[in-house]
Amino acid sequence: MDTLIRDRSPMTFDGVDPAPKSRISIKNLDFFYGDFKALKSINLDLPENRVTAFIGPSGCGKSTLLRVLNRMYDLYPKQTATGEVLLDGENILGKKVDLNRLRAKVGMVFQKPTPFPMTIHENIAFGLRLANYAKSEIDDRVQAALKGAALWDEVKDKLQSSGQSLSGGQQQRLCVARTIAVEPEVILLDEPASALDPISTGKLEETIHQLKEQFTIAIVTHNMQQASRVSDRTAFMYLGELIEEGETAQIFTRPRVERTSDYITGRFG
Amino acid sequence: MTATSDYDSGVKSTRPVAQSDRIFGSLTLAAAVVVLLVLLGVFASLVMGAWPAFKEYGLPFLWTAKWNPVTDKFGALAPLYGTVVTSIIAMVIAVPVGLGIAIFLTETCPRVLRRPLGIAIELLAGIPSIIYGIWGLFVFAPFMQSYIQPFLIDTLGHVPVIGTLFAGPPYGIGMLTAGLILAMMILPFIASLARDIFQTVPPMLRESAYGMGMTRWEVNRHIVIPHVRTALVGGIMLSLGRALGETMAVTFVIGNAHRISGSILAPGTTISAAIANEFTEATTPIYTSSLIALGLVLFILTFIVLAAAQWMLKRMKQKSGA
Repeated sequence: MDTLIRDRSPMTFDGVDPAPKSRISIKNLDFFYGDFKALKSINLDLPENRVTAFIGPSGCGKSTLLRVLNRMYDLYPKQTATGEVLLDGENILGKKVDLNRLRAKVGMVFQKPTPFPMTIHENIAFGLRLANYAKSEIDDRVQAALKGAALWDEVKDKLQSSGQSLSGGQQQRLCVARTIAVEPEVILLDEPASALDPISTGKLEETIHQLKEQFTIAIVTHNMQQASRVSDRTAFMYLGELIEEGETAQIFTRPRVERTSDYITGRFG
Repeated sequence: MTATSDYDSGVKSTRPVAQSDRIFGSLTLAAAVVVLLVLLGVFASLVMGAWPAFKEYGLPFLWTAKWNPVTDKFGALAPLYGTVVTSIIAMVIAVPVGLGIAIFLTETCPRVLRRPLGIAIELLAGIPSIIYGIWGLFVFAPFMQSYIQPFLIDTLGHVPVIGTLFAGPPYGIGMLTAGLILAMMILPFIASLARDIFQTVPPMLRESAYGMGMTRWEVNRHIVIPHVRTALVGGIMLSLGRALGETMAVTFVIGNAHRISGSILAPGTTISAAIANEFTEATTPIYTSSLIALGLVLFILTFIVLAAAQWMLKRMKQKSGA
């Protein structure tokens, strides 16, 4: 993987970089499904090379927030966002934003594995060709991406079989590989382990852990243990509002807001 | 009874349930067998009816272009040629346009327009073919004759190689007109089938394709269509089956001439049009038998199309590595 990665800010050791730069800044974000206000003035920074977990009960808006970050909501009519989301200083909610380029910069992995109807190799090579990588590099990058997603050893002998022939956990890691292959800046994970068994989940979490060295990661999860295992920062959301956000250790041990501690300890949610 | 009493499990008897289940099973089997019997029956009666013609002319019946009721000389090549050519014209036009309509309806169409457009397409599919025939003869063919065909002759007619396709005078009626009418008739069919098929694509798969930064074209071309290719090829083949067998509308506008012409502007005939046109005029037994033999040829042609579709699907699957 190392050869692939552009030079990012130098890291000190694991997660102790004193002041990580903010990669995405969300400012006064409101989101509407028609007339229904699903997000209420969200303000939040996603620091670079960190995993930020979004937790909260169903319907609290955490997936919605994720879908704002790559403008996925744009596919559907009557969904609107107001406010500002800055990525590299540019407001991605602006009208003139090139959505295809934005989505190449902000990759996403979904709740269920969604391998494309093509071979394993092609699942990854396809995105690389879209992103105009040179033909000669593609095979190497496919390999590197599969290694990055901890899938290489399992599929190296069957790259020409269908992506849809893999097991669920492998498919999901293929989706991760496909996403990281094109070197996005941010990776959005929308409950990526919700359809996976514990072993696959473990492998995926390990992958996430390694990926944050190169990417900025946002993960939505229903699983509190998972949030505490994989994330550096945690944001707790409730009814469309961001209730509390901070270092994961702090949120899980000394939450400042009572509702957060109620949710984390399982008193509601 | 003795068999179950060996198991002294305390459950009284499961027999009544098992029996009704068996009855249900045989009922469904019977329903399936009926289809096979009907198919075999049709095939057998076609073969029997066509027997005199094949005995008279042998296999060369298939590639003989002559069709002369006066001298009782018959061959299937001209109607076979017309059937294939009109169906090709129809498919070449209707498949891309139909897929375009379906993609528009599922992907880019504003929500308010979706239902009215969908209903309009289904209504179009419901128009009886005789209406298409009358409209084709009285409205469309004259229009072709005075505008489209002269234009084609003047432009494409002068291009080397493909020019022969557009040679000859503008008759109005002919294979091109028949092919276009066929295209109109199967277009709503393809569009509504394809729309239903596209709607089965999981939204998440579509989103993840957009999530890779793909454009609408790329998503549909590389993700949506390959994902549903099996169903899609099935739908297209169904439509092709319709085009091959369509009778009334084609009979009106094709000109009903038993001849093989390099120009698609020329009149021709199709198998079903020939049968419909000439059945009442078939005065000699060999004439009738030759028409039935045409029917058998159409039957086999349709079968070949279906088999080819299966083979294509298999190859596509291998290519995508499934």
